[in-house]
Amino acid sequence: MLLSFWAGAREDAVFIQVGRRAFYAAAAMTLLASVLLEVALLTHDFSLAYVAEHTDLSTPLALVAAGFYGGQEGSLLYWTLILGLLGSASLVASSSLGGRVAAYAAGILAAILTFFLFVLAVVASPFELLSVTPPDGLGLNPVLRDGGMLIHPPVVLAGFAAFAIPFAFACAALLAGRADASWIAHTRRFALVAWCLQTTGLLLGMWWAYHVLGWGGYWGWDPVENVALMPWLATTAYLHSAQVQEKRGRLRAWNFGLVILAFLLVVFGTFIVRSGVVPSVHTFAVSAIGPWFLSFLGISIAFSGVLLASRAGSLGAAATRPAAAISREGAFVLQNVLLIGVIAVVFWGTVLPLVSGMFGLERVVGAPYYERAAAPLLAALLALMAVGPLLPWRRAGRPTLRALRWPAATALLALAVLVAAGVRSAPGLIAIPLAAAAASTVFTEYGRALLRKPEAILRGRRRYGAYLAHLGLVVVAVGVAASHLGQQEKDVRLAPGQQVTVAGYTLTYTGAESRQNGDHTDFVAGMRFGDETLEPSRVTYAGLGGQALTHVAISTTPVADVYVVLADTNQDGSASFRVFVNPLVTWIWAGGAAIIIGVVLGNLGERSPVGELARRRVPATLPV
Amino acid sequence: MTLALKWGIPVAIVAACVGYLIYTASGGTSEYYVTVSELQAHTQTGDVRVAGVVQDDVQRSDGGLHVTFTERDGTASMPVEYSGALPDIFKPGITVVAEGRLGGDGVFHARALLAKCPSRFSTQPYTS
Repeated sequence: MLLSFWAGAREDAVFIQVGRRAFYAAAAMTLLASVLLEVALLTHDFSLAYVAEHTDLSTPLALVAAGFYGGQEGSLLYWTLILGLLGSASLVASSSLGGRVAAYAAGILAAILTFFLFVLAVVASPFELLSVTPPDGLGLNPVLRDGGMLIHPPVVLAGFAAFAIPFAFACAALLAGRADASWIAHTRRFALVAWCLQTTGLLLGMWWAYHVLGWGGYWGWDPVENVALMPWLATTAYLHSAQVQEKRGRLRAWNFGLVILAFLLVVFGTFIVRSGVVPSVHTFAVSAIGPWFLSFLGISIAFSGVLLASRAGSLGAAATRPAAAISREGAFVLQNVLLIGVIAVVFWGTVLPLVSGMFGLERVVGAPYYERAAAPLLAALLALMAVGPLLPWRRAGRPTLRALRWPAATALLALAVLVAAGVRSAPGLIAIPLAAAAASTVFTEYGRALLRKPEAILRGRRRYGAYLAHLGLVVVAVGVAASHLGQQEKDVRLAPGQQVTVAGYTLTYTGAESRQNGDHTDFVAGMRFGDETLEPSRVTYAGLGGQALTHVAISTTPVADVYVVLADTNQDGSASFRVFVNPLVTWIWAGGAAIIIGVVLGNLGERSPVGELARRRVPATLPV
Repeated sequence: MTLALKWGIPVAIVAACVGYLIYTASGGTSEYYVTVSELQAHTQTGDVRVAGVVQDDVQRSDGGLHVTFTERDGTASMPVEYSGALPDIFKPGITVVAEGRLGGDGVFHARALLAKCPSRFSTQPYTS
């Protein structure tokens, strides 16, 4: 690692190469360690504490394999592995950046990798041996015995790991005093990888929480969720503001700041979540890694802060004329400030217990705080999605006002329809018309392109992919607003044959039965709903101290999900249920898929943007 | 107007709005998070969250939708009453966080009950 810095400083080609190869070798060794752990898991080698604590003989094979990232130590190893692999990929791809940036980046990535390897080797090793080899392991927590376990954690952890790469290249560019077009292209590509992984991870997490946890919702504003959301927001801001730098050569220091912020939020989040310093529903295995991550966070903040402060002066705008406030640039800046505002809201809510705990009794905030503080900002972002894409660069004039007539008309129409349909909730009457306006903007842009030059959509793939992502986000926003504001729930105790009606949906309880399934007992209740029978159940695991788990039954209709939780069963054959009706939840999943498809299609197979950017004459070097 | 003013003023206005939102929202909705003994030492008005361990006297009625139990920390205990579906892992011995308020009758009326997962990551520490 030091070698890379030294080599970078001297621009010595041989040593740069050596530094890089050392990184590749470390990545390969991490891969080997991961393979060994996976083999130990699959062969049930219970002499390893990690294997014994997270799997047992009765766990299905796929979940045994998933035990790799199912525990503290293994998840850190997985994280390190992804960091090594993606880091290697980014170094291989960094040839166009010039020796110094690439060498510094290799050094920074190596420093991060070294930190993780150190924690793995010294503080939280997955290869600890037990003094006595037990005949069977403890098994995975039943809540985690689900298909979601196979995809959600690896995606989220990979997303977390991926944020290190844009950070490394941002710091390297600052160190080398270069922030040219190829740097933007390179950093943007890996920021996109991290962003896509994190988007997918967040959506999968919501989906999993909704389908498995049985509280009728998908987002609880728990610290664990918050710390995954914050880097995502920062990177969303970066992906937008990077365009200002690409097209207009401005906001450079700001962009560096956003990339660095995303990484710092990841480290901060890992510290918060894994050290147990804030109360959370998920108490992670409290372990010794907290102080290490805190020190790492401190060093990262100090390093990047000093770097940014010392170089910010030389990052002034290129010689383009400043733009008017009402312009595409202005819209991007406002969007960034709003996103940072949302981060501030979430951050304050997350650390409040910590801060207030220092001055007396601990205070906490729940969902009402986040709703009150963040909802106005999110509504403003929706409005900006309707207006921003229609504003021209530099300065907006009269033609822009005319272009805004479609979204404005759509918003008014949506408002009228909602009022006519009897919606009286003020947040709904604000959010849904704004979402409609944003959707209308996307359709206007697509329509205009189709009428003039349909092939422009393929050529400007990145732009139209981004519009598709906007549309997806609008659909998500409508789904969130509708399911949040329109949710109805009822707790009810029914004897067989009795009915319950929630929000116009009628369910009939038909009776319950008990089924023995391997290591657990299913107690299944039948609920007739139209032609189908929903089967919410409670599962009891005999081997785990009788731990019970609820299995939710969900019936999806076009306008709402009917969501039934079996709360308890009684001696007399009656059963207690909690029934939710959640409007438009499917919109969230559909919109989420559209976001990812839009971003992936928009950026896949894009010809190397370096040449294109060079044509736009983005200044190549900064004065150092 | 200079560049700094032209961009700085709108940004400052938005930042001030964000600050205002955070201030009012956290002032209006934050709750104290205390243990049972802390609750008894400082009487709070308004809603609080109280963490403690569920004792063996769990009484369920109304088909499991109503429950009473004693919540205890190292030194103090209090009766808790709650209506609604219980968390999956609710049973004597686990730590719960009851959200609600202490009534004049000395009973804590919970409007929400959160169970702390024993651990997200492992079922229990291995001791052998």
